[in-house]
Amino acid sequence: MNPIPLGLLGAGLGAGIAVLGAGLGIGKLAASAMEAMARQPEAAGGIRTAMIIAAAFIEGVALFACVICMLMAVK
Amino acid sequence: MAKETLTKIIAENQGHNQNNQNTGAASEQNVQSSGEHTNTATNEHGKKEMTSQDVFPAVLGHLGDHRELTFFDIHICNLPVIIYDKKEGFHSYSSMESMESKQTFTTVHGHPPIIRKSDMQPVSLDLSITSLLCFEWIAGFLIFSVLAIAARKYKKNPKKAPSGLQNAVEALILYIRDDAIFPNISSKRAAKGLFPYFIALFFFILGCNLLGLVPGGHTATGALAVTGALAITAFFVINITAIRETGIKNWLKHLLGGAPWWLCFIMIPIEIISMFVKPFALTIRLFANMTAGHVVLFSLVGLIFFFNLSSGFTGGLIISPISVAFSLFMYSLDLFVAILQAYIFVILTAVFVGLAIGDHAEEHEEAHSH
Repeated sequence: MNPIPLGLLGAGLGAGIAVLGAGLGIGKLAASAMEAMARQPEAAGGIRTAMIIAAAFIEGVALFACVICMLMAVK
Repeated sequence: MAKETLTKIIAENQGHNQNNQNTGAASEQNVQSSGEHTNTATNEHGKKEMTSQDVFPAVLGHLGDHRELTFFDIHICNLPVIIYDKKEGFHSYSSMESMESKQTFTTVHGHPPIIRKSDMQPVSLDLSITSLLCFEWIAGFLIFSVLAIAARKYKKNPKKAPSGLQNAVEALILYIRDDAIFPNISSKRAAKGLFPYFIALFFFILGCNLLGLVPGGHTATGALAVTGALAITAFFVINITAIRETGIKNWLKHLLGGAPWWLCFIMIPIEIISMFVKPFALTIRLFANMTAGHVVLFSLVGLIFFFNLSSGFTGGLIISPISVAFSLFMYSLDLFVAILQAYIFVILTAVFVGLAIGDHAEEHEEAHSH
Protein backbone atom coordinates (compact mmCIF):
# COMPACT_ATOMS: atom_id res chain seq x y z
CA MET A 1 0.00 0.00 0.00
CA ASN A 2 1.61 3.27 -1.01
CA PRO A 3 1.68 5.89 1.70
CA ILE A 4 0.46 8.96 -0.15
CA PRO A 5 -3.19 8.00 -0.68
CA LEU A 6 -3.26 6.51 2.81
CA GLY A 7 -1.90 9.75 4.18
CA LEU A 8 -4.57 11.78 2.41
CA LEU A 9 -7.23 9.40 3.67
CA GLY A 10 -5.89 9.79 7.18
CA ALA A 11 -5.96 13.56 6.88
CA GLY A 12 -9.56 13.56 5.72
CA LEU A 13 -10.68 11.16 8.43
CA GLY A 14 -8.82 13.15 11.06
CA ALA A 15 -10.47 16.40 10.08
CA GLY A 16 -13.89 14.75 10.09
CA ILE A 17 -13.44 13.25 13.54
CA ALA A 18 -12.14 16.55 14.89
CA VAL A 19 -15.24 18.33 13.63
CA LEU A 20 -17.35 15.60 15.20
CA GLY A 21 -15.78 16.19 18.58
CA ALA A 22 -16.14 19.96 18.30
CA GLY A 23 -19.75 19.71 17.23
CA LEU A 24 -20.66 17.46 20.14
CA GLY A 25 -18.85 19.62 22.66
CA ILE A 26 -20.21 22.95 21.49
CA GLY A 27 -23.70 21.47 21.11
CA LYS A 28 -23.71 20.35 24.70
CA LEU A 29 -22.40 23.74 25.77
CA ALA A 30 -25.05 25.60 23.81
CA ALA A 31 -27.81 23.34 25.16
CA SER A 32 -26.95 24.01 28.79
CA ALA A 33 -26.46 27.71 28.07
CA MET A 34 -29.92 27.94 26.54
CA GLU A 35 -31.41 26.14 29.49
CA ALA A 36 -29.67 28.41 31.98
CA MET A 37 -30.75 31.52 30.09
CA ALA A 38 -34.33 30.29 30.04
CA ARG A 39 -34.28 29.68 33.76
CA GLN A 40 -32.98 33.12 34.62
CA PRO A 41 -33.36 35.66 31.83
CA GLU A 42 -31.70 38.48 33.75
CA ALA A 43 -28.40 36.56 33.82
CA ALA A 44 -28.48 36.09 30.04
CA GLY A 45 -25.67 38.58 29.40
CA GLY A 46 -23.14 36.89 31.65
CA ILE A 47 -24.12 33.46 30.43
CA ARG A 48 -23.74 34.60 26.84
CA THR A 49 -20.22 35.87 27.50
CA ALA A 50 -19.18 32.69 29.28
CA MET A 51 -20.67 30.61 26.48
CA ILE A 52 -18.66 32.47 23.85
CA ILE A 53 -15.42 32.06 25.77
CA ALA A 54 -15.98 28.33 26.29
CA ALA A 55 -16.95 27.84 22.65
CA ALA A 56 -13.75 29.59 21.58
CA PHE A 57 -11.65 27.18 23.64
CA ILE A 58 -13.38 24.10 22.24
CA GLU A 59 -13.18 25.40 18.70
CA GLY A 60 -9.49 26.21 19.17
CA VAL A 61 -8.73 22.61 20.03
CA ALA A 62 -10.66 21.36 17.00
CA LEU A 63 -8.78 23.81 14.81
CA PHE A 64 -5.45 22.39 16.07
CA ALA A 65 -6.53 19.06 14.62
CA CYS A 66 -7.65 20.69 11.38
CA VAL A 67 -4.30 22.43 10.95
CA ILE A 68 -2.45 19.16 11.52
CA CYS A 69 -4.66 17.48 8.92
CA MET A 70 -3.96 20.30 6.46
CA LEU A 71 -0.23 19.84 7.00
CA MET A 72 -0.59 16.11 6.48
CA ALA A 73 -2.56 16.59 3.30
CA VAL A 74 -0.05 18.80 1.55
CA LYS A 75 2.97 16.74 2.50
CA MET B 1 6.00 30.87 7.21
CA ALA B 2 4.23 27.54 7.27
CA LYS B 3 1.70 29.09 4.94
CA GLU B 4 4.39 29.81 2.38
CA THR B 5 5.76 26.29 2.52
CA LEU B 6 2.22 24.98 2.18
CA THR B 7 1.53 26.91 -0.96
CA LYS B 8 5.01 26.28 -2.26
CA ILE B 9 4.53 22.56 -1.93
CA ILE B 10 1.10 22.71 -3.57
CA ALA B 11 2.55 24.61 -6.53
CA GLU B 12 5.63 22.42 -6.82
CA ASN B 13 3.49 19.36 -7.07
CA GLN B 14 1.88 20.80 -10.12
CA GLY B 15 5.13 21.77 -11.81
CA HIS B 16 4.59 25.51 -11.63
CA ASN B 17 7.62 27.67 -11.76
CA GLN B 18 8.04 31.35 -11.20
CA ASN B 19 7.41 32.32 -14.81
CA ASN B 20 3.97 30.95 -14.72
CA GLN B 21 3.11 32.46 -11.41
CA ASN B 22 1.66 35.56 -12.98
CA THR B 23 -0.11 33.72 -15.76
CA GLY B 24 -1.65 31.32 -13.32
CA ALA B 25 -2.79 34.20 -11.19
CA ALA B 26 -3.98 36.22 -14.15
CA SER B 27 -6.08 33.42 -15.54
CA GLU B 28 -8.05 33.15 -12.35
CA GLN B 29 -9.36 36.64 -12.04
CA ASN B 30 -12.65 37.26 -10.31
CA VAL B 31 -12.21 34.12 -8.30
CA GLN B 32 -11.85 36.05 -5.10
CA SER B 33 -15.29 37.51 -5.21
CA SER B 34 -17.97 35.18 -4.15
CA GLY B 35 -20.87 36.92 -5.75
CA GLU B 36 -19.49 37.44 -9.23
CA HIS B 37 -17.98 35.01 -11.63
CA THR B 38 -17.22 34.73 -15.28
CA ASN B 39 -16.76 31.62 -17.26
CA THR B 40 -14.42 33.14 -19.75
CA ALA B 41 -11.47 34.11 -17.66
CA THR B 42 -9.29 31.14 -18.34
CA ASN B 43 -6.88 31.88 -21.17
CA GLU B 44 -6.58 35.61 -21.36
CA HIS B 45 -2.87 36.06 -20.62
CA GLY B 46 -1.96 32.41 -20.78
CA LYS B 47 1.32 31.40 -22.22
CA LYS B 48 0.32 27.84 -21.46
CA GLU B 49 -3.05 26.18 -21.42
CA MET B 50 -4.78 25.75 -18.09
CA THR B 51 -5.93 22.24 -17.54
CA SER B 52 -8.46 21.28 -14.94
CA GLN B 53 -5.63 20.03 -12.74
CA ASP B 54 -4.21 23.52 -12.39
CA VAL B 55 -7.35 25.28 -11.25
CA PHE B 56 -7.29 24.58 -7.54
CA PRO B 57 -3.56 25.11 -6.94
CA ALA B 58 -3.72 28.39 -8.82
CA VAL B 59 -6.78 29.47 -6.88
CA LEU B 60 -5.45 28.50 -3.49
CA GLY B 61 -2.14 30.14 -4.31
CA HIS B 62 -3.95 33.44 -3.91
CA LEU B 63 -4.12 32.83 -0.20
CA GLY B 64 -0.39 33.15 0.36
CA ASP B 65 1.93 36.09 0.44
CA HIS B 66 3.07 37.78 -2.76
CA ARG B 67 5.89 40.05 -3.73
CA GLU B 68 3.72 42.27 -5.82
CA LEU B 69 0.71 44.24 -4.73
CA THR B 70 -2.32 42.99 -6.57
CA PHE B 71 -5.95 43.77 -6.16
CA PHE B 72 -8.30 41.56 -8.15
CA ASP B 73 -5.40 40.67 -10.44
CA ILE B 74 -4.90 44.32 -11.27
CA HIS B 75 -1.20 44.48 -10.76
CA ILE B 76 -0.65 47.68 -8.84
CA CYS B 77 3.09 47.66 -8.27
CA ASN B 78 6.07 45.43 -7.65
CA LEU B 79 7.05 45.51 -4.03
CA PRO B 80 10.63 46.09 -2.93
CA VAL B 81 12.77 43.27 -1.68
CA ILE B 82 14.83 44.15 1.38
CA ILE B 83 17.29 41.59 2.64
CA TYR B 84 19.72 41.71 5.50
CA ASP B 85 22.32 39.01 5.63
CA LYS B 86 25.22 38.52 8.03
CA LYS B 87 27.76 37.98 5.28
CA GLU B 88 26.45 40.02 2.42
CA GLY B 89 25.15 42.96 4.37
CA PHE B 90 22.08 45.01 3.75
CA HIS B 91 20.62 44.93 0.25
CA SER B 92 17.47 46.39 -1.10
CA TYR B 93 16.07 46.00 -4.56
CA SER B 94 13.06 47.62 -6.09
CA SER B 95 11.50 44.40 -7.30
CA MET B 96 12.13 40.72 -7.72
CA GLU B 97 13.32 41.18 -11.30
CA SER B 98 16.03 43.63 -10.37
CA MET B 99 17.13 41.28 -7.61
CA GLU B 100 17.45 38.43 -10.03
CA SER B 101 19.39 40.51 -12.49
CA LYS B 102 21.99 41.46 -9.87
CA GLN B 103 22.76 37.80 -9.21
CA THR B 104 23.69 38.21 -5.57
CA PHE B 105 20.63 36.34 -4.46
CA THR B 106 18.71 33.73 -6.32
CA THR B 107 15.32 32.30 -5.73
CA VAL B 108 14.23 28.79 -5.07
CA HIS B 109 11.11 28.03 -7.00
CA GLY B 110 8.03 28.34 -4.96
CA HIS B 111 4.92 30.34 -4.65
CA PRO B 112 6.01 32.97 -3.51
CA PRO B 113 9.63 32.31 -4.39
CA ILE B 114 11.99 31.83 -1.48
CA ILE B 115 15.16 33.86 -1.53
CA ARG B 116 18.49 32.10 -1.21
CA LYS B 117 22.06 33.23 -1.54
CA SER B 118 24.14 32.14 -4.48
CA ASP B 119 25.27 29.01 -2.67
CA MET B 120 21.72 28.02 -1.76
CA GLN B 121 22.05 29.02 1.86
CA PRO B 122 19.09 30.82 3.35
CA VAL B 123 19.43 34.49 4.09
CA SER B 124 19.53 35.73 7.68
CA LEU B 125 16.67 38.17 7.58
CA ASP B 126 14.18 38.78 4.86
CA LEU B 127 12.63 42.14 5.56
CA SER B 128 10.99 42.66 2.21
CA ILE B 129 7.67 44.38 1.85
CA THR B 130 5.05 41.93 0.72
CA SER B 131 1.44 42.33 -0.20
CA LEU B 132 0.13 41.17 3.18
CA LEU B 133 2.23 43.81 4.87
CA CYS B 134 0.73 46.44 2.58
CA PHE B 135 -2.72 45.26 3.49
CA GLU B 136 -1.87 45.51 7.17
CA TRP B 137 -0.80 49.10 6.63
CA ILE B 138 -3.98 49.84 4.71
CA ALA B 139 -6.02 48.32 7.55
CA GLY B 140 -4.09 50.32 10.14
CA PHE B 141 -4.55 53.54 8.20
CA LEU B 142 -8.28 52.96 7.74
CA ILE B 143 -8.83 52.15 11.39
CA PHE B 144 -6.77 55.13 12.46
CA SER B 145 -8.79 57.48 10.29
CA VAL B 146 -12.13 56.10 11.50
CA LEU B 147 -11.14 56.38 15.15
CA ALA B 148 -9.56 59.80 14.63
CA ILE B 149 -12.75 61.16 13.08
CA ALA B 150 -14.80 59.86 15.98
CA ALA B 151 -12.34 61.27 18.52
CA ARG B 152 -12.31 64.66 16.87
CA LYS B 153 -16.08 64.83 16.90
CA TYR B 154 -16.01 64.04 20.60
CA LYS B 155 -13.39 66.70 21.33
CA LYS B 156 -15.33 69.39 19.56
CA ASN B 157 -18.34 68.94 21.81
CA PRO B 158 -17.81 66.62 24.77
CA LYS B 159 -21.24 67.16 26.27
CA LYS B 160 -23.28 66.33 23.20
CA ALA B 161 -24.89 62.92 22.84
CA PRO B 162 -23.01 61.03 20.16
CA SER B 163 -24.53 60.21 16.81
CA GLY B 164 -23.43 58.64 13.57
CA LEU B 165 -19.88 57.35 13.30
CA GLN B 166 -18.93 58.51 16.76
CA ASN B 167 -21.89 56.63 18.16
CA ALA B 168 -20.91 53.40 16.45
CA VAL B 169 -17.28 53.63 17.53
CA GLU B 170 -18.22 54.50 21.09
CA ALA B 171 -20.71 51.62 21.23
CA LEU B 172 -18.03 49.15 20.18
CA ILE B 173 -15.48 50.53 22.59
CA LEU B 174 -17.90 50.56 25.50
CA TYR B 175 -19.01 47.04 24.72
CA ILE B 176 -15.43 45.83 24.87
CA ARG B 177 -14.72 47.76 28.03
CA ASP B 178 -17.78 46.72 30.00
CA ASP B 179 -18.04 43.14 28.85
CA ALA B 180 -14.57 42.01 28.04
CA ILE B 181 -12.03 43.93 30.03
CA PHE B 182 -13.31 45.24 33.32
CA PRO B 183 -15.18 42.11 34.45
CA ASN B 184 -12.19 39.90 33.76
CA ILE B 185 -9.29 41.88 35.11
CA SER B 186 -9.59 42.33 38.83
CA SER B 187 -7.14 45.20 39.21
CA LYS B 188 -8.62 48.50 38.04
CA ARG B 189 -5.22 50.06 37.47
CA ALA B 190 -4.12 47.33 35.08
CA ALA B 191 -7.45 47.40 33.28
CA LYS B 192 -7.24 51.15 32.73
CA GLY B 193 -3.64 50.89 31.59
CA LEU B 194 -4.24 48.04 29.19
CA PHE B 195 -7.44 49.49 27.79
CA PRO B 196 -5.79 51.27 24.80
CA TYR B 197 -3.89 48.08 23.95
CA PHE B 198 -7.10 46.07 23.80
CA ILE B 199 -8.89 48.66 21.71
CA ALA B 200 -5.99 48.83 19.25
CA LEU B 201 -5.83 45.03 19.10
CA PHE B 202 -9.55 44.66 18.47
CA PHE B 203 -9.76 47.28 15.76
CA PHE B 204 -6.59 46.09 14.06
CA ILE B 205 -7.73 42.47 13.85
CA LEU B 206 -11.20 43.60 12.79
CA GLY B 207 -9.73 45.80 10.06
CA CYS B 208 -7.44 43.07 8.74
CA ASN B 209 -10.22 40.48 8.72
CA LEU B 210 -12.71 42.73 7.00
CA LEU B 211 -10.18 43.85 4.39
CA GLY B 212 -9.62 40.22 3.53
CA LEU B 213 -13.33 39.78 2.95
CA VAL B 214 -13.55 42.61 0.45
CA PRO B 215 -13.54 40.88 -2.97
CA GLY B 216 -10.03 41.10 -4.26
CA GLY B 217 -8.43 41.71 -0.91
CA HIS B 218 -5.88 39.61 0.94
CA THR B 219 -6.31 38.62 4.57
CA ALA B 220 -3.32 39.65 6.61
CA THR B 221 -4.49 37.64 9.61
CA GLY B 222 -4.64 34.58 7.39
CA ALA B 223 -0.87 34.31 7.61
CA LEU B 224 0.56 32.39 10.53
CA ALA B 225 3.29 34.98 10.95
CA VAL B 226 0.88 37.85 11.58
CA THR B 227 -1.27 36.03 14.11
CA GLY B 228 1.89 34.66 15.71
CA ALA B 229 3.21 38.18 16.14
CA LEU B 230 -0.07 39.30 17.72
CA ALA B 231 0.04 36.34 20.08
CA ILE B 232 3.67 36.98 21.06
CA THR B 233 2.70 40.55 21.89
CA ALA B 234 -0.18 39.21 23.98
CA PHE B 235 2.21 36.83 25.76
CA PHE B 236 4.47 39.69 26.82
CA VAL B 237 1.52 41.85 27.81
CA ILE B 238 0.07 39.10 29.98
CA ASN B 239 3.27 38.28 31.81
CA ILE B 240 4.60 41.80 32.20
CA THR B 241 1.25 43.00 33.50
CA ALA B 242 1.15 40.14 35.97
CA ILE B 243 4.66 40.93 37.19
CA ARG B 244 3.88 44.62 37.42
CA GLU B 245 0.67 44.17 39.31
CA THR B 246 1.54 41.46 41.77
CA GLY B 247 5.32 41.48 41.97
CA ILE B 248 7.65 38.86 40.71
CA LYS B 249 7.40 36.58 43.73
CA ASN B 250 3.66 36.24 43.36
CA TRP B 251 4.05 35.58 39.67
CA LEU B 252 6.46 32.78 40.42
CA LYS B 253 4.09 31.48 43.03
CA HIS B 254 1.37 31.37 40.39
CA LEU B 255 3.56 28.89 38.56
CA LEU B 256 2.71 26.50 41.35
CA GLY B 257 -0.92 26.89 40.54
CA GLY B 258 -2.17 27.06 44.08
CA ALA B 259 -1.28 23.50 44.96
CA PRO B 260 0.76 22.60 48.07
CA TRP B 261 4.54 22.84 47.71
CA TRP B 262 5.22 19.12 47.49
CA LEU B 263 3.28 18.91 44.19
CA CYS B 264 5.67 21.34 42.53
CA PHE B 265 7.34 18.66 40.40
CA ILE B 266 4.17 18.10 38.45
CA MET B 267 2.61 21.52 38.69
CA ILE B 268 5.54 23.62 37.51
CA PRO B 269 5.99 21.92 34.11
CA ILE B 270 2.25 21.96 33.56
CA GLU B 271 1.97 25.61 34.42
CA ILE B 272 4.94 26.55 32.23
CA ILE B 273 3.47 24.62 29.33
CA SER B 274 0.12 26.27 29.85
CA MET B 275 1.82 29.66 29.87
CA PHE B 276 3.12 28.98 26.37
CA VAL B 277 0.11 27.12 25.05
CA LYS B 278 -2.26 30.04 25.60
CA PRO B 279 -0.69 32.37 23.00
CA PHE B 280 -0.19 29.39 20.70
CA ALA B 281 -3.90 28.64 20.89
CA LEU B 282 -4.68 32.28 20.16
CA THR B 283 -2.49 32.09 17.06
CA ILE B 284 -3.96 28.92 15.68
CA ARG B 285 -7.53 29.93 16.43
CA LEU B 286 -7.35 33.20 14.52
CA PHE B 287 -5.26 31.80 11.68
CA ALA B 288 -7.39 28.71 11.10
CA ASN B 289 -10.69 30.59 11.36
CA MET B 290 -9.63 33.13 8.77
CA THR B 291 -7.94 30.72 6.39
CA ALA B 292 -10.59 28.02 6.51
CA GLY B 293 -13.36 30.38 5.44
CA HIS B 294 -11.31 31.67 2.54
CA VAL B 295 -10.25 28.20 1.40
CA VAL B 296 -13.88 27.07 1.28
CA LEU B 297 -14.94 30.20 -0.56
CA PHE B 298 -12.17 29.92 -3.15
CA SER B 299 -12.81 26.22 -3.62
CA LEU B 300 -16.52 26.72 -4.17
CA VAL B 301 -16.00 29.40 -6.79
CA GLY B 302 -13.06 27.51 -8.26
CA LEU B 303 -15.44 24.60 -8.87
CA ILE B 304 -17.01 26.66 -11.62
CA PHE B 305 -13.69 27.02 -13.41
CA PHE B 306 -12.89 23.37 -12.81
CA PHE B 307 -16.11 22.20 -14.37
CA ASN B 308 -15.68 24.65 -17.19
CA LEU B 309 -12.31 23.18 -18.04
CA SER B 310 -13.17 19.56 -17.57
CA SER B 311 -16.72 19.28 -18.92
CA GLY B 312 -17.01 22.21 -21.27
CA PHE B 313 -19.21 25.25 -21.09
CA THR B 314 -22.40 23.50 -20.03
CA GLY B 315 -20.67 21.92 -17.07
CA GLY B 316 -19.68 25.32 -15.78
CA LEU B 317 -23.13 26.67 -16.49
CA ILE B 318 -24.88 23.98 -14.51
CA ILE B 319 -22.64 24.20 -11.47
CA SER B 320 -22.82 28.01 -11.29
CA PRO B 321 -26.13 28.54 -9.45
CA ILE B 322 -25.29 25.93 -6.82
CA SER B 323 -21.80 27.25 -6.38
CA VAL B 324 -22.86 30.86 -6.11
CA ALA B 325 -25.60 30.05 -3.62
CA PHE B 326 -23.23 28.14 -1.36
CA SER B 327 -20.63 30.84 -1.76
CA LEU B 328 -23.06 33.50 -0.60
CA PHE B 329 -23.92 31.48 2.45
CA MET B 330 -20.27 30.82 3.28
CA TYR B 331 -19.50 34.49 2.69
CA SER B 332 -22.02 35.67 5.27
CA LEU B 333 -20.76 33.03 7.69
CA ASP B 334 -17.21 34.21 7.10
CA LEU B 335 -18.26 37.80 7.76
CA PHE B 336 -19.74 36.79 11.08
CA VAL B 337 -16.68 34.74 11.95
CA ALA B 338 -14.34 37.64 11.10
CA ILE B 339 -16.03 39.98 13.57
CA LEU B 340 -16.45 37.30 16.20
CA GLN B 341 -12.83 36.15 16.05
CA ALA B 342 -11.55 39.67 16.59
CA TYR B 343 -13.75 39.93 19.67
CA ILE B 344 -12.72 36.49 20.91
CA PHE B 345 -9.00 37.29 20.59
CA VAL B 346 -9.47 40.37 22.74
CA ILE B 347 -11.68 38.73 25.34
CA LEU B 348 -9.41 35.72 25.68
CA THR B 349 -6.36 37.93 26.14
CA ALA B 350 -8.26 39.84 28.81
CA VAL B 351 -9.23 36.59 30.53
CA PHE B 352 -5.61 35.43 30.48
CA VAL B 353 -4.44 38.71 31.94
CA GLY B 354 -7.06 38.41 34.63
CA LEU B 355 -6.02 34.84 35.39
CA ALA B 356 -2.36 35.81 35.56
CA ILE B 357 -3.06 38.68 37.91
CA GLY B 358 -5.36 36.53 40.00
CA ASP B 359 -7.27 37.82 42.97
CA HIS B 360 -4.17 39.08 44.76
CA ALA B 361 -4.55 42.47 43.16
CA GLU B 362 -7.06 43.89 45.60
CA GLU B 363 -5.14 42.92 48.72
CA HIS B 364 -1.90 44.13 47.20
CA GLU B 365 -3.27 47.56 46.47
CA GLU B 366 -4.59 47.97 49.98
CA ALA B 367 -1.35 46.74 51.47
CA HIS B 368 0.57 49.40 49.55
CA SER B 369 -1.96 51.99 50.71
CA HIS B 370 -1.25 54.76 48.21
